[in-house]
Amino acid sequence: MNEAAQDFSDEQLGKARAGEAAALAALIRAHQRSVYSLALRMLGTRDLAEDLTQDVFMQLSGNLKSIVSSTHLVFWLRKVTSHRAIDQLRRRARIETIPLDEEIPQLSTVDDGDPLLHRHLWRLLLSLSPSARAVLLLRYQEDLDPIDIARTLDMPINTVKSHLKRSLEVLRQKAPNPEPLRCEGKSP
Amino acid sequence: MNEELESRLRAALRPVAPSDEFTRDLIARVAADQRSSSDARSAHGRRPRARGWWLSASVAASLLVAAGVQHQLQERHERERGLEARREVIEALRVTSQKLNLAYEVIKNQSSFPADDKPGA
Amino acid sequence: MRSCILRIFLALLAPTLVWAAPNPRLALPEFSTLAQKATESVTITLDAALLAIAGRFLDGNDPQDAAAKEVLKGLQGIYVRSYTFDKDSAYQQSDIDAVRNQLSAPGWSRLVETRSRKSQANVDIYIMVTNNQATGLALIASEPRQFTIVNIVGAIDLEKLHKLEGQFGVPKLDIDLSKAASPNAKK
Repeated sequence: MNEAAQDFSDEQLGKARAGEAAALAALIRAHQRSVYSLALRMLGTRDLAEDLTQDVFMQLSGNLKSIVSSTHLVFWLRKVTSHRAIDQLRRRARIETIPLDEEIPQLSTVDDGDPLLHRHLWRLLLSLSPSARAVLLLRYQEDLDPIDIARTLDMPINTVKSHLKRSLEVLRQKAPNPEPLRCEGKSP
Repeated sequence: MNEELESRLRAALRPVAPSDEFTRDLIARVAADQRSSSDARSAHGRRPRARGWWLSASVAASLLVAAGVQHQLQERHERERGLEARREVIEALRVTSQKLNLAYEVIKNQSSFPADDKPGA
Repeated sequence: MRSCILRIFLALLAPTLVWAAPNPRLALPEFSTLAQKATESVTITLDAALLAIAGRFLDGNDPQDAAAKEVLKGLQGIYVRSYTFDKDSAYQQSDIDAVRNQLSAPGWSRLVETRSRKSQANVDIYIMVTNNQATGLALIASEPRQFTIVNIVGAIDLEKLHKLEGQFGVPKLDIDLSKAASPNAKK
């Protein structure tokens, strides 16, 4: 969870539930990165991610009174975003070919000079089933443990562990070795 | 090896922010939606708890706490078991539904097209 | 003495003389070798006790949970084995034959047989009927990179199963259920 989300308190949540515009704006700013990133990495394009992010927060707006704590809020957002993204992917026709030269969505803000890892990661994400993709993202983007992932996705815990194990195996086989550290500039 | 890979994954998957323009639009839309919804319900005051009878206070309290903790642990365990069973039911029905759909899709496609062996087809 | 021996003999023979009621519960293999090769596997074993526990945690106010609750009524077991592979032909039909052979036992009738040359998906649905009521369902779906076996034991309502369309992330196809009852010629 990012710092802004961690800092969003129950008190601020109460104000948002009471309809205070400033508190509502703070809620959105605190949690949109997590929701948007999940949506982007699940659905693959910025447009779809923005649509889904908007849908999730509009749904939250109608259900705010049922959110009892900031912890519950985080759980609710992850759950709704994941389920909606999975539903969308299952309804959409399967994309048979992986675009090799097309723009790879920005998966990370980390400028670690490792575009090869990003390309491999993107291909791996595309190759996973919607459920497996969601499991991987909840584990490594949201830092959830398998039990919490199982709760969020309504998935048996053995299935969660199986998805994680398989996805890491594939990535380990396909991920390039890390480039040696350089003091300045990028490698040619 | 695993730890290094996982650490690279975490670094690569740090959350990214949408554009500022999108954020502004989103806040405005949600605020508008909130304004058009019904009034917030009023806060409820806390009712004072009725105090129980004093027994041998420390002994009774200790026993109750111990029993309560035990009960809570058991309830929590049963709840976890029940939730896991629920998840398995949902998954089982999802798989069943998906495969029934697969059969139905073939049937639907077959009923849309005439048989290949009809004359002139 | 002789009558005593006769009684013992008859008692030993009795089980074979009683007409064995058809058993809607299939004996599903472990598929351990295939599970190791699979990229995804789903293994679910829910007996009557677990279904009852699960039922208590299904939320009647949630549409998905409510649909699941309806289907669960009267069921005694749900068993699923599903394996997905990362390449075609990673499993053999003979791997599934141990299950398929059980469906030629008395009591089972094939309700649906679909073969699609286009998607190379084969789906067979079998049903067991006892006293004019469905008491068991078996579904075998084999696709190039996945096979799935579902066995449901208990009083199954096909209409309710059909209503699962649109739930659990599966899109609605608006299929007329009566068309599913007649076997289809191979494509």
